[in-house]
Amino acid sequence: MELATERTVSPPTLGGVKVLGLHKSYGKHAVLHDVNLEMTEGEVVSIIGPSGAGKSTFLRCLNYLEVPTAGTITIGDSTVDAGARRPDRACLDRLRRVTGMVFQNFNLFPHLTVRENITLPQMKVLGRSRDEANAVADSLLNRVGLAAKSEQHPARLSGGQQQRIAIARALALSPKVMLFDEPTSALDPELGLEVLAVMRDLADEGMTMIVVTHEMHFARDVSDRVMVMADGRVLELGPSEQVMTAPTHERTKKFLRAVLDR
Amino acid sequence: MTFVDQWISWLPALTPGLGVSLTLTGLCLLFGMPLGLVLALMLEGPVKMLRAAALIVVEVGRGAPALVLLYLLYFGLPEGGVTLSAFATGVISLSWTTGAYASELFRSGLAAVPAGQREAALTSGLRGWSGFRYIILPQAVRISTPPLASLAVTIFQTSSLAFVIAVPELMSKAYALGSITFEYLSVFALTSVLYGSITLLALAFVRLAEQRLSRHL
Repeated sequence: MELATERTVSPPTLGGVKVLGLHKSYGKHAVLHDVNLEMTEGEVVSIIGPSGAGKSTFLRCLNYLEVPTAGTITIGDSTVDAGARRPDRACLDRLRRVTGMVFQNFNLFPHLTVRENITLPQMKVLGRSRDEANAVADSLLNRVGLAAKSEQHPARLSGGQQQRIAIARALALSPKVMLFDEPTSALDPELGLEVLAVMRDLADEGMTMIVVTHEMHFARDVSDRVMVMADGRVLELGPSEQVMTAPTHERTKKFLRAVLDR
Repeated sequence: MTFVDQWISWLPALTPGLGVSLTLTGLCLLFGMPLGLVLALMLEGPVKMLRAAALIVVEVGRGAPALVLLYLLYFGLPEGGVTLSAFATGVISLSWTTGAYASELFRSGLAAVPAGQREAALTSGLRGWSGFRYIILPQAVRISTPPLASLAVTIFQTSSLAFVIAVPELMSKAYALGSITFEYLSVFALTSVLYGSITLLALAFVRLAEQRLSRHL
């Protein structure tokens, strides 16, 4: 928990997360049962668990890439009530405006240069001028250590570089919460490290982050709390140190043994 | 007189026809390609009525041979009180064929853009038209370009069918020349050389364009 107190830079925006009773099913098959998560601004939560646990589905429900069947999602000052009716456009827009997402497969736009990847959404969504957008892009590229690559196309870059650019692209829209969906799973361990370093910086700067990951060191050292999921349910949610070293749930113990003692 | 001298002496009689063929093809591509894109969007879109309308246009355009479509419009339009020149009828008919085939190529191009791109566009706030216009469409067009280019070449060759409705294109000029000289074999050999050289030239351009388009992928 001492990492949390080290954070000196206060985040620019108000952005806690409150998820209540999130439910998701495909027909009769339920993949998420009553998932709850409350986070204060600046908090980092890692979600771990075996595959098929519903970790990614949960994350993707938060910005409505998947449509939850029931529950309420509040991020910052936008609330979306899932359930009977599909929420209106404006609601979803606001929800997506306050969340930034980083995908396992980067999903950079291959037909645009690195800089254009970061400037296009700014210009189209925020209405920034090209000069403003370029300034933001350049400072973000600097921050992820890739200023020299701004004119390249993504295909020319390594996976680790692409993922750092994907992070910069998401940050350019000043989200209140960053969602990471297994950001290092498609990378070899060395390239994964450079992405984790960027994420660690981001956490230290006070960004609110939810990270679905198999990186146990990151879960333990960087995140404030760890949420363990299996079979669409939350098994436990608690301070990282405690969950990682002294889990209470039998299923968690089994999972941690499998990933840590190899 | 060798056959080369003969061919050279025939060229002035054929080149106006070649010009008409190229103009006809150019107009068909000009109207047919955007039509194809619009049809593809209608087919993929959420509005049932538009989808049904597009489906009919596409299925007739692909189902009926280009030759049949030419005749249908040539004899059908005047019945409906619309009298157009043979050339205009040819443009409409072949544009229809072009649009119908192009729509399928655009559709497969759109389908080939990875789902992750749509998700990334959405999470970047680019939804609806702007996401489509700036993220999906450029990638789909890139994927569809090689097959669209070969469609263009096919349409150039198909334009020779306009000869049956008396459009004065290359094929009809060749036929007329044959009926004067009675050297049909030689005349049509020259005609095929003309069609062939344009086709090969076009294909070479396509290859260049493909390389340019795929340089970042």
